[in-house]
Amino acid sequence: MKKLFAFLLTLAMVLSLAACGGKTDPPSDASGSAPAQGNSGGSDSAAPTKLTLILRAGTYADVIKECLPAFEAEHNVTCEVQELSESDLYSGIALDAINPAGTYDLCMVDGSWMAEFTASGVLANLTELGYELDSDIIPATTTICYVDGQLYLAPYYGNVTVLMFNKANVEAAGYSAGQIQSLDDLLAICESAQASGKKGFIYRGDNQNNLVVDFLPILLSFGGWVLDDANKPTVNTPEFKAAMEYYLKLIATGEAQVKDDLIASVDTGAGTMGIGWPGWYTPTADSTADYIALSGSASAGAQAYNSNVYGIWTIGVPNNSQNKELAAKLLAYLMDADVQKSTVPSGGVPCRYSSLQDGDVLASYPQYEVVCKALESGMYRPVISEWTQFYTTLGTEMDNIVNGVKTVDQGLADAQANLEQLMG
Amino acid sequence: MKKSQILKARTAGSAARRFGLGMISPTMLVLLIMTAYPLLFTLFYSFTDYNLLRNLQKPASFIALGNYTKLLHDAYFRQAILNTVKFTLLAVIFEMLIGFGIALLVNSLTRGQKTMRTLLLLPYLLPTVTVALSWRMMLSPNYGIVNQVMEALNLPVFNWFSDMRTAFGMLLLIDVWQSAPFVFLLLYAALQSVPQAQYEAARIDGAGAFKILFFVTIPNIKNSLALCALLRTIDSFRLFDKVNLLTGGGPANTTSTITQYLYNYGIKSLDFGFGSAGAIVMTILVLFLSSFYIKRAMG
Repeated sequence: MKKLFAFLLTLAMVLSLAACGGKTDPPSDASGSAPAQGNSGGSDSAAPTKLTLILRAGTYADVIKECLPAFEAEHNVTCEVQELSESDLYSGIALDAINPAGTYDLCMVDGSWMAEFTASGVLANLTELGYELDSDIIPATTTICYVDGQLYLAPYYGNVTVLMFNKANVEAAGYSAGQIQSLDDLLAICESAQASGKKGFIYRGDNQNNLVVDFLPILLSFGGWVLDDANKPTVNTPEFKAAMEYYLKLIATGEAQVKDDLIASVDTGAGTMGIGWPGWYTPTADSTADYIALSGSASAGAQAYNSNVYGIWTIGVPNNSQNKELAAKLLAYLMDADVQKSTVPSGGVPCRYSSLQDGDVLASYPQYEVVCKALESGMYRPVISEWTQFYTTLGTEMDNIVNGVKTVDQGLADAQANLEQLMG
Repeated sequence: MKKSQILKARTAGSAARRFGLGMISPTMLVLLIMTAYPLLFTLFYSFTDYNLLRNLQKPASFIALGNYTKLLHDAYFRQAILNTVKFTLLAVIFEMLIGFGIALLVNSLTRGQKTMRTLLLLPYLLPTVTVALSWRMMLSPNYGIVNQVMEALNLPVFNWFSDMRTAFGMLLLIDVWQSAPFVFLLLYAALQSVPQAQYEAARIDGAGAFKILFFVTIPNIKNSLALCALLRTIDSFRLFDKVNLLTGGGPANTTSTITQYLYNYGIKSLDFGFGSAGAIVMTILVLFLSSFYIKRAMG
């Protein structure tokens, strides 16, 4: 009896383990048709092919999602979209890259991941898949899309750092948007706001990446950068120190907040200014906040540097996608000039002259003129495979400096030493 | 007759052993697959420079104790250990005190025990992410209710998660708020098993409330107290989700725990070899801390 009981129990356990690993049919989509995997190209009479997209959550994914139904109807596909935070998107793409058969067919990639992804063969060669960028796309935005003349990514969403500001607070300080010509003007406005009981400059201090990214436009305005042409760290330099000392004065007028709080602060007037991205906020004629591109000058009369930092969201096809050709068609469709222009009312920011310089678009969204100029002369964050460790190390030391744990000299010296060790 | 009885007894004994082995074999199999294998796998990779993406082009190479040396020489890792130990000690002390206090209070109620039990358990039932995001909203410097109430009462307001003076305390508060109900539940159940006769005898002997607490209640529930402390120590030591969501280890590493450090420097950059080394170090620390409790519990 005991033996029989033991046998039945073991059998039940083995069967349940086997059942857990069994393949299940994927759920059918909303229209009721059963999706099918494979590179069939989605022929009309066959069951729809399923394409899986992994995208950055927020406006970036929303504008893509609204374009999908037309493509789905034309090509007999169903698109499943995963929307993730930046760090989850990075790890999601990376973790799937090691699988021989990938889960994703289209991925959204931040430009700073390009070097790591292409070095590891994560992305499919779009040139070999028959796709090329057209001349309507702003040339400066395409520099990181190519490796050895081959295309791997397409610049989809034109994120570039802008200076978000509350209109009323700026006016109360005696300035208009057009009069903000240098970082000294920024500081003057923020100090004036602080004196009147409001917060001046709001910065994102919630993680190392945000600390570094918010600081980069300031650093560029002082003529500094984090790496030289030989990819050696340049953080312990007079320019970096001057930028850091200025930044400490600037952030002393405000405080650190997370992204949502920063936007709310500037919108409500509780805060005056902050570094932001067009994807965060769509100003209108009667909105309380607006944004401009930074001039790139540290002070009046000083040399103006290119200080707009790209945060462009590109799209590509994972190299282990099971539907590469169809995914390439989807990519080409999403990058179509007319399709991209149609996303503008929903907050889309195409990297295209036809969208950003269109008369009707500018009539409704005049800020896109600013964005276009910024995109024409932007700087990508360093395209190095060690960028994640780089900004973690630099951000940690900046966090120490900002919070007074280390002096500027001490913090920058430690950052330089650690980064030299990292870059070899 | 005697021989056959001995044979029967032996057969019955070996049958019982086989039955016992058969009963625990499914569990052993699951333990081997879900615990032993990942642990050995992690230990193996801790001696390599395994990076998830770089491994696609070039396999990982053996670097012996390179990861461990780098880890133990890193001042930020040592700070993370200090933060973790400090957090664990404070969290366990507060959770035990508050949980025990609530358990005594609810146990003493003559009416409404069930209602109080359910209400008090609610924070523990909430997902950690929900708790973290809710507290983040309440403590928001912009529209958070806490700052608004404090402003109305003319009290100083803080940027709770970005201020070095308050960030650690806030994490501690949120963790205690969520986890004290768990301690309350376990100790409340233990209090139910204390014989009432002992309380009556103590009262007859003229013992006051404190003497009853220290000489009747606590001795009877000491095993449950030890178990609670052990479980909360292990959980607090592994704190990650609240730190990652609310502070990211900042400001200036004041809230960086071991797991947050491993995430920042190992997992985020897909340096799983380095992350594995950190995980092994953390496992050893947890085992060391737990050994005190386990030894005491086993007498």
